[in-house]
Amino acid sequence: MKHETALLLSVFMAATAGAQEDQFSTVITPAFSPITWERLVDARNEPNNWLMYSGTMDSQRYSLLDSINTDNVDQLEMKWAYQIPVIDRAETVPLVVDGIMFITEAPSNVVAVDARTGREYWRYDHEMPDDLRICCGRNNRGVAILGETLFMSTLDAHLVAIDARTGNLLWDTEVAPHDSGYSKTAAPLIVKDKVVTGIAGGEFGIRGFIDAYDPATGEREWRTYVIPGPGEFGNDTWSGDSWKTGGAATWITGSYDADLNQIYWGTGNPGPDWNGDVRLGDNLYSDSVVALDGDSGEIVWHFQFTPHDVHDYDSIQVPILADIEFNGHQRQVMMWANRNGFYYTLDRSNGEFLIGKPYAAQTWAQGLDPVTGRPIRVPGMAPTYEGIMVSPPIVGATNWYSPGYSQDTGLFYVTSFDGEQEFFKRDEDYEEGERFTGGGGRYTSPMDAFHSSIRAINPETAEIEWEFPIMPRSSAGITATAGGLVFTGSADGYFFALDASSGEELWNISLGRRVHAAPMTFAVDGEQFVTIASGNVVYTFGLRD
Amino acid sequence: MIIHLGRLKPNLRWLAISIVALGFSDYSSSLLFQSAQAEDAGNLYNTAVDIRMGNRYFERQCSRCHGFDAKGNDETGAPNLTGRLRRASSDAGIFNIIREGVSGTAMLPVAADVPDATVWQLVSYINSLRYDPLSVELAGDAQTGGRLFNGKADCSGCHMVNGRGGRLGPDLSRIGENKTPEDLLLSLMDPDQEVAPRWWTVRAAGADGVIREGFRMNEDSFSLRIMDTDSNLWSFQKRELENYERLEKSTMPSYAESLSDGELDDLVAYLFSLRREVLPQ
Repeated sequence: MKHETALLLSVFMAATAGAQEDQFSTVITPAFSPITWERLVDARNEPNNWLMYSGTMDSQRYSLLDSINTDNVDQLEMKWAYQIPVIDRAETVPLVVDGIMFITEAPSNVVAVDARTGREYWRYDHEMPDDLRICCGRNNRGVAILGETLFMSTLDAHLVAIDARTGNLLWDTEVAPHDSGYSKTAAPLIVKDKVVTGIAGGEFGIRGFIDAYDPATGEREWRTYVIPGPGEFGNDTWSGDSWKTGGAATWITGSYDADLNQIYWGTGNPGPDWNGDVRLGDNLYSDSVVALDGDSGEIVWHFQFTPHDVHDYDSIQVPILADIEFNGHQRQVMMWANRNGFYYTLDRSNGEFLIGKPYAAQTWAQGLDPVTGRPIRVPGMAPTYEGIMVSPPIVGATNWYSPGYSQDTGLFYVTSFDGEQEFFKRDEDYEEGERFTGGGGRYTSPMDAFHSSIRAINPETAEIEWEFPIMPRSSAGITATAGGLVFTGSADGYFFALDASSGEELWNISLGRRVHAAPMTFAVDGEQFVTIASGNVVYTFGLRD
Repeated sequence: MIIHLGRLKPNLRWLAISIVALGFSDYSSSLLFQSAQAEDAGNLYNTAVDIRMGNRYFERQCSRCHGFDAKGNDETGAPNLTGRLRRASSDAGIFNIIREGVSGTAMLPVAADVPDATVWQLVSYINSLRYDPLSVELAGDAQTGGRLFNGKADCSGCHMVNGRGGRLGPDLSRIGENKTPEDLLLSLMDPDQEVAPRWWTVRAAGADGVIREGFRMNEDSFSLRIMDTDSNLWSFQKRELENYERLEKSTMPSYAESLSDGELDDLVAYLFSLRREVLPQ
């Protein structure tokens, strides 16, 4: 008996060794090596991989890969397509780690595929309750990775850890009760030895926060509410008890500066969205960017883009960080095109407003205070019971979809929309788990009557350098590359490349369905690919063989 | 709000119950509306108060996708609920969609703990966005209007009805399902008031120097397709065009002067009768 066991064991070990040898020797499927914190901080310098939602900690979505460039981008061809089995919007930005791609799917599933072929290694299907409270579709935007573990937000407001080699569930932590209106859609951000993650539910009267979790155990390390409690700075910017149900969801991924040790995160609308009567005051820190200490999570500074918002102008945009020359001085800046129609350049070390101008149609503000950046409101533009036309519409001049930045051109790229909508106010009482929006909106013109474009903004002047018209309103993110390219998609189902310097159209392909995601780029065996989700399909393109 | 077409045009009038448009601040008007369909199906929650409650619930829970006016949203794919419903033809059908959702779409089921009464109120509200065409009695005569359509007014030169007619305007075979008599009259008198993007005109100058003009059948970020007045279909890549312009106006003439008030009434009656089910004469 012992002899047989030993024999079987030796056969098994031989087989295992053989498999490992194959894995490391084949060029078809490169080896997967653990992702350390150091690799994440230095992600730009391994451009063959796409290691986090925004590519790098500064969220520039700028890749050093240049084999696909302005000279040959018209030679792109489709290499493979992966069909997501669940029919819903695909907002995923896949990660690629050493030739393995991790794709998230609606509602909260993840699949690992060979990045060269799109063929599946494993999949994880998250068990979901049937009483979800979600405002805007069954979305998931991506995973984070540390070591050999993936971290994913789920629609039932959990954070799960998944073994990146097998898809096995390692832990499953409830972040907040989903039946109270909390949900999670955004990719987490790894900061040192913690998994930092936000929360969704701004249309359900939640109280927004940013959390950090132990990647090994799923234990919560800290929680920073972005609506201050009694006695804390800013609580008096909410009348009465309105802070308890004030929203300020943190439903998109933030950025991190390792030198300053600061985490930057956008916050969503105050609740109820369209009726500010019940929450008088500035409503801190809704519609803001907050800078958190990278270790403790304490708020170091904040900048509120839209005080006392009544138009649902979430500041749910990915903060782009760069060091640029500004008025003759090198500055550590943050670039931000806001849903409210204004573009801002801030000093990210302290939140100082440097410059800001409208980048899209807006009628709610006369401009920004030149010193503080606080908007100067046009009187009488708050929603009414009868309805009032305001620009931008509820969906915003832009929204959650990632902007991009090129280190070569120094330009900031954003998907923008010049629309307008009638805003209505309603009286509503808060009921746990029910929508708490206080109104809504309606379009009075067809979408084709509005103007949409990709705009390139100079962060030093806040001026638009070029624009490329698209139609109708897009919800695609943008990625720039050292090949002089800007990749993005459109609502009419195109994936396309523009010249990053001039905005000239260089290549496009009709994929047929709306693009709700941002492109990403990677390389396997020295060959560059670019990937985008359109409709329910993830497409990967490369140069013609 | 009771809409009398007579205010717009004296001799086109409602003789019986008129359309009830449920305005938020117009609570009392909904008292006039009763959905026969809902009563037949046994919906007990169809009083004016129920409709009002359904309206409130709709604005709060459904309007994000379907729009505050329930007219749908191209972006979310949520359909217009104010016309004929694509997936339900009865109160029970509407109830089931709200209760169970629509598989494979973004239409999720209502939360399990929402009581049936609330769902029935929603059904009543959605029903209130339409009206029973039998409750509408128009001054015009549909048969006479039909003769005008194919004769003096020459509508059929541009519009198809049940497979017969021209291609230079929308197919009107079911126009009565989604338009009120008031809408129809306005379209006849002032066609530019509301022009769907499909019927805008595009004038495109190709690289060959030829200018082609036609209906904007489809336009996207990089290309456009038109149908010219000879029904030729053209597809262009925008980058290959010298230039192009679009006219967001209707090509249809106004009939405000060319038809008498009585003829307009007849034409409206005919158009309103164009629906899947034939209205009893």
